[in-house]
Amino acid sequence: MSDETSESAFSNYGLYTIRDNLELFMPNTEIKIERMGSNVFSYVRNDSESNLVKKIIPVKSDELTIEISPIRPLNYPARRTSYVYLELETPVFLSEHSAATVFARCPIEIGVFLVHDGHKDSLDCFTCDPVNSRFALYGAPDSGTLCKYTNSEIVESYEDSTPYIDAVLEINLQNELDEGHSVSKIIFPIFGNSVYYKDSKAIIDSIEAVLKKKLTLEVFDVSKKSIQTDWTLSPSYVRDMVVKSIDMGVD
Amino acid sequence: MVLDFLQSLSEIEIVGGLTLLSLFVGGIIMGVGIIIAKTVRLLFTKYYAPKLSQDTAKNFGKIIYFGIIIIAFLLFTSSTGVDLSGLLVAGGIFGIVIGFATQSVVSNLISGVFLMLEKPARQGDSIELPSLNISGALLDIGTFSVRIRLFDGTIMRVPNESVFTSTIRSLTSTPVRRSECVVGIAYKEDIDAATNVINKEIRKTMPFVLMLPKPEFRIKELADSSVNIEILVWHPREDWGEVAPKLLKVVKKALDDNGIEIPFPQRVIWNAKE
Repeated sequence: MSDETSESAFSNYGLYTIRDNLELFMPNTEIKIERMGSNVFSYVRNDSESNLVKKIIPVKSDELTIEISPIRPLNYPARRTSYVYLELETPVFLSEHSAATVFARCPIEIGVFLVHDGHKDSLDCFTCDPVNSRFALYGAPDSGTLCKYTNSEIVESYEDSTPYIDAVLEINLQNELDEGHSVSKIIFPIFGNSVYYKDSKAIIDSIEAVLKKKLTLEVFDVSKKSIQTDWTLSPSYVRDMVVKSIDMGVD
Repeated sequence: MVLDFLQSLSEIEIVGGLTLLSLFVGGIIMGVGIIIAKTVRLLFTKYYAPKLSQDTAKNFGKIIYFGIIIIAFLLFTSSTGVDLSGLLVAGGIFGIVIGFATQSVVSNLISGVFLMLEKPARQGDSIELPSLNISGALLDIGTFSVRIRLFDGTIMRVPNESVFTSTIRSLTSTPVRRSECVVGIAYKEDIDAATNVINKEIRKTMPFVLMLPKPEFRIKELADSSVNIEILVWHPREDWGEVAPKLLKVVKKALDDNGIEIPFPQRVIWNAKE
């Protein structure tokens, strides 16, 4: 995708090659990239809270290529955790030895990447939904896990993500226990989950959540499952690392 | 010629069988011991210390260095054939005298060892010593003292004994912390409406306040002029500065924007009928 003209509607995710200037519009956020000199561009981001981010970008060639893509929601208001806490708006009841697949919304942030010489460098990241970018604690204050929190709505399919606000992820739920349980929250390390985009929609790798017995304890075991899709894979804003999943208790 | 020189040294007796030659050999042993100790400590610091915490690495470095020095000293004494039994008796008496004289030094040393073993806080942790009225980041636990960088940027050296015998509050060893403030509203105001608007304003403007556990509102006191509400919010441990100092401002703004009165102290005076 290549675009050099200003757009009035919300812009799509994707690659943008800029020769002179470019304006991108997203919910509560506006990005302006302008040529300052022969090999220098300026980058300005404005948001609804009047925060202004300015950067000067020297480039080797005569044009600047950037990629706008959804990224994992771990950077705003500050990078404090690798875990996401999905509180399902409507809990899912799983009867004994049953399984279900649901699609749920998961928040995202937006990453701006500078594309050059086959590399994608992290240039900027932000959220279009700052009011809902909040933390929560799972567990006790002395030993719990700090997570990025979201009140997640169950949706019908991958097409139901809100542009620039959230992505949809598939949750495969399974109950291996001898009694029924309601699943109202899922906590998982999102570092292992890749984000994909198409136009202004985004999806995230699936997770498998199994209610099972570990020795004498009933636990909720959550793991990542990669998906096969023709959507474009988003670059990682920060370097990927391995984060251990936590053992959730059963409610 | 060298042999003649060494022969001459072996013939010069300093005291009780200790010749100049044995002292010379002992000196070489001690010198080599010091060089080995420094080299081993250097190699340890370069290759192994980065994998350990700074405190542990520093202490291991000292143990290795002084361990090799002590071994070298023992080799030195055995090579010279010095009888240390007399020295031990004299040293024992001398030790008692020195012990009394340097009681606080020894106490700090022992306290330092126990602090290193117990590890009440790690290097870099923010700690508070309420009895000493000290708050800051723990820089290191040394042989005799602890260094703390106060929140005003200055560095304070506190004797190990004082730290060991003090109550230590660790401010950063848990993932989250709680901050509180108290605000008074007029008696005529609806308490639920007031807490509701405060909650909304906190949710909107304080990104570091946790959604879970939720902000909590307690009626602290039915005071002389106001109903005092205590507001308790949780936040990540690193973000105390983004929450605690701003909480009262946010609360006041919420009440002001919604026309909820924060009363001045007032007293109703009834005049007796004349």
